[in-house]
Amino acid sequence: MELLDRYLQAVKKHLPWERQDDIIAELRANLEAQLEDKEAELGRPLTKEEAEEWLKQIGSPIQVAARYQRQQFLIGPAIFPTYSYILRLVLAWATVIYAIANAVAIAASNLGGEGVLRAALRLPEIWLINAGVVTLIFVVIELTGARFPEKFHAFGPMTAPMTAPWSPLDLPPVGAGDGDWAKPRSFTRALLEVFFGCLFLAYLLLVPHYPFLLLGPGAWYLKALPYQLAPVWWTFYWLLVGLNAVELSWKIVDLARGAWQRPRNRARHLAMHALSLIPLGVLLAAPEHKLFLLKNPADAAVHGAALASANKGVLQALTIVVAIVVLQLVWGIVRASLDAYRKRLAA
Amino acid sequence: MTITENLFENLRLELRRGCLTLAVLAQLKQEHYGYTLRKALASRGMEIDESTLYPLLRRLEAQGLLTSEWREEEKRNKRFYRLSSDGEQIFARLLEEWNQINTSITNLL
Repeated sequence: MELLDRYLQAVKKHLPWERQDDIIAELRANLEAQLEDKEAELGRPLTKEEAEEWLKQIGSPIQVAARYQRQQFLIGPAIFPTYSYILRLVLAWATVIYAIANAVAIAASNLGGEGVLRAALRLPEIWLINAGVVTLIFVVIELTGARFPEKFHAFGPMTAPMTAPWSPLDLPPVGAGDGDWAKPRSFTRALLEVFFGCLFLAYLLLVPHYPFLLLGPGAWYLKALPYQLAPVWWTFYWLLVGLNAVELSWKIVDLARGAWQRPRNRARHLAMHALSLIPLGVLLAAPEHKLFLLKNPADAAVHGAALASANKGVLQALTIVVAIVVLQLVWGIVRASLDAYRKRLAA
Repeated sequence: MTITENLFENLRLELRRGCLTLAVLAQLKQEHYGYTLRKALASRGMEIDESTLYPLLRRLEAQGLLTSEWREEEKRNKRFYRLSSDGEQIFARLLEEWNQINTSITNLL
């Protein structure tokens, strides 16, 4: 029957090559026997339409061939947990490294907003490439394991999450997964937070009068230099003092209200984290990108180049700091959102 | 297919999967080739698609539960399967398990 030959030929194309002939010979014998039975029942050969309907019932060649495949998945359950963990780790680190590298490049080339936008638009490509490479590596491991099971113990550590011996005593205590957020605070800890908060604020307020508190012996050396801090540093300083004062006030109010035993307020922490970007942003937006000025403008011919270099270097470092703070903030928001989502699901 | 029907179909297939293996092992205490095995199972109320049964025979053979040999019958080369000695032991244990599950489910209902 020509249609059956065509059907078997189509099935063969999708079979593993080393077993193609054997499987097709068996399938042919079975289907021909079935066909003979059908024709004997009808007392005549099948019409073209009947033959077509019969083969349709058996299934499409790809479907039939797929049932003979040994491997039905790219990454099996034995190594999937490791794959998932490594993938998340690689994506997170790729993002951090990419962000830092771009922050430096943008600062160095003075591309500004355009550079940030270009870098952000390329991020999905970075994720895709990294995810592709990790997936490819694990697919190779899976296929090697399936083809040479006796050698699969070489990938023992990969299957550890599923097969490693474990003890219930090693499990983390309840709530440990939530980090500090779910733990109630002790009175001593809340009191110490207020005490050190006051101490730090006092220290901050004293620094302008006693620069050695910040710079040590460098303060005297700085005095001798022909440079001085730009006025934007005062704005930065007072914003820093203001932020610390707000945080300290919150802690004192919590202590006074007896709310110190409550777990730390995550939203408040994230808000403070976001607010901390303001003073850094003020420095980055310094007029003419000048964080340091000459004490005597007439020295520009002698010290101008060194001053420009210092301004550029500090601004680059600040850009990196801002990038890290933004990433920490985004990470904090993502984690808080995921925890909130999980809690909602559990409820 | 609605979501409910789809869910039912998935659960039905899942339920049948283990039963099919048991049925095939039970039937292969006697030697059969693919098509006659399918007919024998169908005559006892266990219909199985060709595309499910034939690959299943290959898998069970690869697992050592069946043995097979090519032989000519009615002027056609056919692959005949039957239970291996390991297959007989496993089948006996599976049957015991099946009976326990059956009893438990009957008790639950």
